[in-house]
Amino acid sequence: MTELSPLDAVHRSLGAKMALFGGWDMPIAYPSGTIAEHLACRHDAAVFDVSHLGTVRVSGPGAFERLQTTLTNDLGKIAPGSAQYTHLLDEHDASVTDDIIVWWIDEQIFDVMPNATNTERVIAAIGGSKTTAERAILAVQGPRARARLDGVVPDAAAVGRFRVASVEWNGVPLTVAGTGYTGEDGVEIAVPAKAAPSLWAAIVDAGVTPAGLGARDTLRLEAGLPLHGHELGAGITPLQAGLGWVVSWTKGPFRGREALDAERQRGIKRRLRGISTEGRRPARDGCTVFASDATPIGIVTSGNYSPVLNHGIALAFVDPASALGDAVSIEVRGTALAGTIVKTPFVSKR
Amino acid sequence: MSTPEDLRYSNDHEWARLEGDLVRIGITDYAQDALGDVVYVQLPAVGSAVVARDSIAEVESTKSVSDIFAPLTGTVVAVNDVLTDSPDLVNTEPYGSGWLFEIQLTDAAEYDALMTAAQYDAFVAG
Repeated sequence: MTELSPLDAVHRSLGAKMALFGGWDMPIAYPSGTIAEHLACRHDAAVFDVSHLGTVRVSGPGAFERLQTTLTNDLGKIAPGSAQYTHLLDEHDASVTDDIIVWWIDEQIFDVMPNATNTERVIAAIGGSKTTAERAILAVQGPRARARLDGVVPDAAAVGRFRVASVEWNGVPLTVAGTGYTGEDGVEIAVPAKAAPSLWAAIVDAGVTPAGLGARDTLRLEAGLPLHGHELGAGITPLQAGLGWVVSWTKGPFRGREALDAERQRGIKRRLRGISTEGRRPARDGCTVFASDATPIGIVTSGNYSPVLNHGIALAFVDPASALGDAVSIEVRGTALAGTIVKTPFVSKR
Repeated sequence: MSTPEDLRYSNDHEWARLEGDLVRIGITDYAQDALGDVVYVQLPAVGSAVVARDSIAEVESTKSVSDIFAPLTGTVVAVNDVLTDSPDLVNTEPYGSGWLFEIQLTDAAEYDALMTAAQYDAFVAG
């Protein structure tokens, strides 16, 4: 069954190109195009409909304990009114079943935000109820996101990085988190489904550019952020993905801890790296990476053209012995693309 | 979506413009819109012999890579080098400065077998 965003009619009226994403019919790009939308987010402000993300409400006296003993990160490091990036691991091999943002709304109330297709798996692990259909989520991102949002919902514009707050807009209750997936400053706003079109319109009227999931993907890639199904998923652990900071070894048990600890002891077999490539041609998911002596050392998981850098960039799982600065080549449909292993993010926030 | 009357069209969403015994080839407005923002174009080598339906070029967008097939049999006599630095012309001027390559035809009858604008519009409408 295809899911529709509460903003579906808005996207269609804007002439968006729609496509299925995790079972949701979502805007990939508006007529302005992915690159213009990408640059609007890097230089000014863009708004994305990310209603396809799941929301699972976990509440009650046991909620904290349940999340703390299931997910990898240490909720004890934050407090109500904050958000945290965390993982749900497979018990047996410590694969990342899902990567999740937890919004700690109030003492005993958490909104857990899995990837669309993983919502049921996350509910099976931590309980709670799916509230996805009740709301839309708008991500307002970019160096001028807060300035532009200040004219619409000043209280939302003031929510700090990784903070969570309940605010009101014309009598509509909003939950706002200082989170995002673009590498830029900004907030994500959960709004009741019925009020979503009018909030969207007010934000766009404030000069924020509508941007589709195409731009969201090129932005997250420039920011070196993993996408589940590419850099995270079956057979991939947080340590391989370079996300050891998401795992707390001091808080006690969590799902998959034993398997992950075993990998930590024996060492990872591959690790995620950024590769900067020459020219505009992008490497793509599945392309083989070769060392300078022509030995195959890894596989690309995401690759695209970087609108800011004006050349190709890729994320790849490679031999952990490879180092920053190493020259590599990537086989792209029969031709060799020259590249260098570089630090991520590829593009840093100015 | 525009479909110029003076061009011929292939099933693979390419257009062809006959100029003497040369045919200039590009992708249609429909095709560029479906692809999204073009970021890279791989063009064939000048002088290469091509057979109709061979994959001879690639157009990469932010979404995906698409093969470009030779709509006609002949020899590639020119390619649009401007696309190396400005592949976005494929989006903005698909029938003009966003052309891809020129073929010297082996058999002029092949050109006449391509679709007319009206036939292509019907083809796209499905």
